[in-house]
Amino acid sequence: MHTFVLSYLGLQLASNPPNIWLQILEFVIAFLSIFGFIMTSAIILILAERKIMGWMQDRYGPLHTGPWGLLQTVADVGKLLLKEDIHAGSTDKAVFLLAPSVFMAPVIAAFAVLPFSPYIGLPGTALATGIVYLVAMSSLDVIGVIMAGWGSNNKYSLIGGLRSAAQMISYELPLVLALIGVIMFTSVLAGLPGFPSYGQSGVGTISLKEIMDIQNSAWHKTGIGILDFIFEGFTPWTWFFLFQPLMLVVYYTCGLAETNRAPFDLPEAESELVAGYLTEYSGMRWALFFLGEYGNMTIVSAISTYLFLGGFSGPGVTYLLGLNSFGWSFLANILALIYFILKVYALCFVFIWIRSTLPRLRADQLMQFAWLILIPVTLLNILVTGAIYLVVAALGLPTWVFLVVTAAINWAGLFAFIRIVGAATSATTRRAQAPAIRAQRRAALATPALSGTIPARVPELPQEATAGKQ
Amino acid sequence: MATNQQINAGVEGAEGTQSQEMLLNMGPQHPSTHGVLRLVLTLEGETVVDCTPVIGYLHRGIEKILENRPYMGGIRYMDNCDYLSPMLNETAYVGAVEQLMGIEPPRRAQYIRLLTNELQRIASHLVGIGTYLMDLGAVTPILWCFRDREGILSLFEALGGSRFNVNYLRVGGVLHDFPKNWLKECSAFLDQLEKNMVELEGLITGNEIFEARTQGVGYIDPQQALAYGLTGPMLRASGVNWDLRVNRPYMAYREIPVRPQVRQEGDCFARYKVRVQEIYESIRLCREAIDKLPGGPIGTRTPIALRPPRGETYFALESSKGEQGVYLISDGSEYPWRAKVRGPSFVNLQILPELLRGHKMSDTIAILGSLDIVLGEVDR
Repeated sequence: MHTFVLSYLGLQLASNPPNIWLQILEFVIAFLSIFGFIMTSAIILILAERKIMGWMQDRYGPLHTGPWGLLQTVADVGKLLLKEDIHAGSTDKAVFLLAPSVFMAPVIAAFAVLPFSPYIGLPGTALATGIVYLVAMSSLDVIGVIMAGWGSNNKYSLIGGLRSAAQMISYELPLVLALIGVIMFTSVLAGLPGFPSYGQSGVGTISLKEIMDIQNSAWHKTGIGILDFIFEGFTPWTWFFLFQPLMLVVYYTCGLAETNRAPFDLPEAESELVAGYLTEYSGMRWALFFLGEYGNMTIVSAISTYLFLGGFSGPGVTYLLGLNSFGWSFLANILALIYFILKVYALCFVFIWIRSTLPRLRADQLMQFAWLILIPVTLLNILVTGAIYLVVAALGLPTWVFLVVTAAINWAGLFAFIRIVGAATSATTRRAQAPAIRAQRRAALATPALSGTIPARVPELPQEATAGKQ
Repeated sequence: MATNQQINAGVEGAEGTQSQEMLLNMGPQHPSTHGVLRLVLTLEGETVVDCTPVIGYLHRGIEKILENRPYMGGIRYMDNCDYLSPMLNETAYVGAVEQLMGIEPPRRAQYIRLLTNELQRIASHLVGIGTYLMDLGAVTPILWCFRDREGILSLFEALGGSRFNVNYLRVGGVLHDFPKNWLKECSAFLDQLEKNMVELEGLITGNEIFEARTQGVGYIDPQQALAYGLTGPMLRASGVNWDLRVNRPYMAYREIPVRPQVRQEGDCFARYKVRVQEIYESIRLCREAIDKLPGGPIGTRTPIALRPPRGETYFALESSKGEQGVYLISDGSEYPWRAKVRGPSFVNLQILPELLRGHKMSDTIAILGSLDIVLGEVDR
C-alpha cells in the first residue's frame, strides 16, 4: 500500500534496477517539488511577515489584492517574473548573472534531506550524515553572495558582499558547535532500553530522522488506547530543547546571522548600504535571492525543529501508522506534515518578531559577539556535557542522573548567558564611552558661562484678558 | 581620529598586496541621508577617513522669494523651510515682522502660538527619533512615531485647514480661533501620547543593541559644541544649558516657564534622550497652556499691505532643531529689502565631518541621524 505514496513522490523510482530515465524523472520530480515548496513557503512567509509586522506596528499590511490582501505576494511574484532583466553595462556579466543561481542552488539542495512526514520526503532523507550535509550546504551560500557583491561592480554591493562573507564564515563555527551537544546526547541515549541502537553502544547518529526518532522513543506501550494514541512516538519530555535550551538559543541566533536576518542584516542594511549585494539586481534574479533567503529561514527553523523540538512527531502519528492500512497511514502523514509545518512556522514567527523589535548591530560588534561570546559558550557546553558524562559513567550512576544534571546546568547557563550578553555589551559600551567620559570631566572644570546670561528685565505680556470664548 | 600614519600603516598590506582608499558617494539618492544630502566619504576598509558633505540639491531660494513677497505672503514660504516644523518657522518669521513693526500680539494669540509651537516640536522630535531608529535598523519605532505624529497633523488640519504647510500664523496674531472641541481633542491626544511615549521608550531605551550602537558614539564636548555654534538638543546633549525659551524668553514663554532638558554625555544616546525628554516637557507645556489659556481677541488689526518702518531686526526662537532666526531689513516698502533665515540644521550639519573621522561606516548613518537635520532647511 505504502508503495503507492512512495512512488508517487519519487522516493523509490530509481532504486531497482537502475534506469537512467527513471533517475532523470526522479530528479525532475524532486527539483520541481522542492522548488514549488520553497516558492509557496516564501510566498506564505512574506505575506505573514508583512501582516505580522503590520500588527506589531499598528498598521494593516497589504489589504487590497485578493481577500484581506492574501494574493499580494502572488501578484508580487508575478510582477517579478515578468520584469525586464536589467543589468548595468559595467558589471562582470558572467559572475553577475550566475550569482542568484549559485545562491539558490544550495538552498534547494539542502531541502533534499528534510523529511516532512514519515513518507513525504525525498531519497536524501535517508542520508546518514544529514547534519553535516545541511551545514555544508548552508556554508555554500556565501559564495553566491560574494559573487553578487563583486559582479555588480558597485561599491555598496562590494561592501555588502564582504560584510556577508565575514559574517557567514564567523557564525558558521558556533552554529556547528551548538549542534554537537545534541549529537553527544544521541550517543548517550542510543542503545538504552526502548531507544534505537546504532551498532555498538555509545555510538550516536547525525541523521536528522534518527535524531528525531531518538527524542520520541521514551514511551512504552501501555495498552490504554488513548494514551498510546497520543504518546506513542510523541514524548515531549525527552525533546532535546529541555536538555539543551542554551544551545537552541545559540543555534537560532547563529541561524539569524546565517540567513542575514535582523538584527544581523548588515550585508543588506538598507539604511547604510541601500540594499547591499542586492543593489544592482531586479526582476527574477532579485527574486531568487529573496526566495533563497526565505528558504534559508525555513531550513534553519526546520533543523531546530528536528534537533530540538522533536521533528514532525505529534499525537497520533506513530499510532495511526502502526494500524497498517493505507487510509490511516495517509492520515498519519497529513497529521505529521501539519505538526511539522506548525513547528517550523512558529520558529519563523520568532524570526519576524525579532526583526520588528531589534535595531541592527555594527560590524565589529557582530564579530565580537560571534568570537568572544558564542564560540566560547558552545565550546564550554561540549566540555561540560562530556565531563558530566564521564563522571556519571565513572561513578556507575544511571543515565537519568546525567540527563538531569546536564539539563539543570544548561538551563542555568541560558539565564547566565542572557546576563553575560547584557554585561558584555555594557562593558564594551563603557569602554567605548571612556574617552567621552574623560573629556566630560575635563569640560566640567571649565563649564562655559552661557547659561547665566538671562536678560535682567523680561517685559510683561499685555494684560487685556477677558472671559474668553472657546 | 585616524592620523595619516595610521592610515598609511593600513595601506601597506601583507606580502605585497596593495589596498587603497575608496571614495564612496553616499547620496544624494540614498535611503537615509534625510533628503538629498550628499556625503563624499573616503573609506579605509569600513573606517571613515574623511567626509565632505555636499549640499544645495534642495535649494529653492526661499530667502529671495521672501524678498519678493509682501510681508503677509512670506509666511507660507517659511513653511517649506524646515518642512518638519512649519509652525515654528512661521512663528520665527511672524515674530521678526512684529518686532520690526513694534506690534505686540494679544495674550490669547501668544498662548495659541505656544500651544501650536509645542505640538509642532513634539511632531518634529517624533520624526527625528523615528528616522534615527530607522537608520539604526529598527523598523517598528518609526511607524509608532508617525502614528503619534498623525494625531498632531490632524489637530493642525482642524486648526489651519492644512496638515503640513499650515499657514496658520498671521502678523499680529493667528488665523482662526480654535474650532469647537479642539482643546478637548488636544488634551485627549496628549494623554494618549504620554502613554505611547512610555511604550516607545520601553521598546528602545533599555535595548542593549541600541545602547551599544549609540553610547560613546559621535561625542561632542561642550567647548566644541559652542565653537561650532550648535544649538538646540545637540547643544543641550553636550551639557550646555542653553535654551532660548528660558534664556531669551519670547511670547508666552515669559509666563510659562520651561525646564530645559540637559544631558552631560554628549553622544548620540544623549541626543536621543534629550529629544525624548523634550517631548515629555512639551506635553507638560501644552497642558499648562491649555489650563491657563486666556480669553480675548486672537489678533490685532493690521493692514493687508504691511509697511514696516525702515530698519532691521533679528528674531530668534528655539525651534525643534535649535535656534531658528529670521533677519529682516525693511526699506519702508511692502516687501522686505533683505531676508535671511538662520537655520539650525545648516549650522548643526557643519560638525559632521569632524564627528565622522575614525568611525565605522555604519556609524556614519547613526551619527548623521542623531543630528536630526532637515535638508529643506539646510539648502533653503
